[in-house]
Amino acid sequence: MASSDTTLDQPSFSEKIEPYISFLGPMAMILAIIIFMGIAEPARYFRVSNMTQILLDAALYMPMAMAMTFVITQRGIDLSIGSVAALSSIIMAFLIKQYGFPAWSAALIALCLGALMGLINGLVITKFKVPDLIGTLAMDLVYRGFALVIAKGLVLARFPDLITEIGRGQSLTFLPTPVVIGLITLAIGYFMLKSTHFGRYTISIGSNPEASEMTGIAVDRHRVYAYVLMGTMAALAGIMLTGKLNAIQATSAPYFNLHVIAAVVVGGTSLFGGRASIVGSLAGVLLLSMMINALVTLRIEFFWQSVASGVVIILSVALYTWLQKKDRDGSGGMAAALQNPDNRKLLKLTVWIVGALVVLSIISMIFGGPANPSG
Amino acid sequence: MASQEPIIAMHGIVKRFGGVVALNNVDLEAYPGEVLAIVGDNGAGKSTLIKILTGVYQPTEGKITLDGKPFQMASHSDAIENGIDAVYQNLAIADHLTPAENLFLGAELTKSIAGFTALDNKRMKAEATRVLKDRLGVQLKSMDVPTESLSGGQRQAVAIARAVRHDDLRVLVMDEPTAALGPQETARTLELIKALKAQGLAIIVISHSLDDVFEVSDRIHVQRRGQCAGVVKTAETSNEEVLGMIVGTKTAA
Repeated sequence: MASSDTTLDQPSFSEKIEPYISFLGPMAMILAIIIFMGIAEPARYFRVSNMTQILLDAALYMPMAMAMTFVITQRGIDLSIGSVAALSSIIMAFLIKQYGFPAWSAALIALCLGALMGLINGLVITKFKVPDLIGTLAMDLVYRGFALVIAKGLVLARFPDLITEIGRGQSLTFLPTPVVIGLITLAIGYFMLKSTHFGRYTISIGSNPEASEMTGIAVDRHRVYAYVLMGTMAALAGIMLTGKLNAIQATSAPYFNLHVIAAVVVGGTSLFGGRASIVGSLAGVLLLSMMINALVTLRIEFFWQSVASGVVIILSVALYTWLQKKDRDGSGGMAAALQNPDNRKLLKLTVWIVGALVVLSIISMIFGGPANPSG
Repeated sequence: MASQEPIIAMHGIVKRFGGVVALNNVDLEAYPGEVLAIVGDNGAGKSTLIKILTGVYQPTEGKITLDGKPFQMASHSDAIENGIDAVYQNLAIADHLTPAENLFLGAELTKSIAGFTALDNKRMKAEATRVLKDRLGVQLKSMDVPTESLSGGQRQAVAIARAVRHDDLRVLVMDEPTAALGPQETARTLELIKALKAQGLAIIVISHSLDDVFEVSDRIHVQRRGQCAGVVKTAETSNEEVLGMIVGTKTAA
């Protein structure tokens, strides 16, 4: 009755590919990197040893990207993961080196500590009602501070075989052990998202928090679950990092948070909630590792990595926002945008700022004396 | 219809919020196979009335009977257990989930895989397709798309289907079911209401649109300033009379 007279219009091309966009997007970018490197530096980039290196780098971020997919899908964010990884693995290192704990129990303790830190994050956000951005940023300082208090400037190194196996071993399959661990966590995440209450409610909370509350879903409890999962996976990444480097210090893992958030967002999980893609997160992690590896292979200075990561985040978020905007009427390109008085004022402001910079530079050059190097 | 017993009846309901009297001595009866419309100005007490009816609020005074027996609800889930459910104005739908996932949101069907409890997505999809088709006569192009890609009327159908999914549902309360819909979608939603009425449900519709009310209802309950300004049979009244009762220039004959 209700649908019998629906005009069965064919879905447009963008509608057809929309479900796969989260996967196609990063795949297209990965392809672009492959083509670019195939032209620029094929010999060194496509060596088996380099491919293994890319996978090893990516593996570290896979568990965290899985968990971050849940956190972001719920409209949350966790900026504390680097410190959680550092603190839990510092404590693990001390338990092994100073107190003679067996490696397996110290590693499990580290995972539990990560879960505990995630729990604290979750409670700060849901019970104290501190916005997630501020809450996890502040807890990042707290955890990093504890790590520094415990370790001072020490570098703890040379760990038992179990830890190095987790970080860089290859005794399980033809793939390095950390890659296997990372892929397993992603597979578990995929299952959780599709087939558990936690996964279903994660999407509904991100999609419509009020409706979820009204339906009787324990919104706050499931948000805490996501942060606990995040903390646990951050601790796992900490163990993997410790094993990979066979060393750990309090300042390790400084940029985990932005790298992981970038990978997840590049993979099509929406920062505005409700849209999750575990496969996309895997693609995002691979993309970032390939990109950074490409920069290294091209012998571009290390510091450019942070520039590249930032640009990739902005580009992908802007792209997804544009793709999801259904109604593009009236967007008549640059010329039309310049007709808009607001945009003209912004243009004027831009001209003023750039002009001021230029004028100041010229004046400084005129009045400046000889250079006076600080070093 | 009038000869039948009401499924649910409210007698002398009073609801006070502090010093504010939201409802003052209101009676209401809902019969099976009948659409009762509740109309009234903003602040007339319509929302409070249905929140009491669906167990969200408890009345300060007065009593409710279910099948003639005294009946108390401590929460909305009490109401659902007794076959009373509501479809809200701001559709309680998660846009990114599929229709089936929305239908079973908060009450998912599960199965056991090697000792673990997992969601039974296949069964939920089949069941959702059945409920939509058999009870509402709606067949969606695809059950695998996010609900946000459906039309307003189809989304309304999903929201209604969530309530009628329970086979023991007897009273369905609908808050402004056509408020956000275009003319075509409104017509479809009214068709849905008629289909449910034919299945013997007691339906209570709150609406601002008198056109829709006259199209679909059997009786009209007019609320004015927390009191019942009268209940009239739709067939025996006119647009002007109801409007007069809403603004207070006329009283029920």
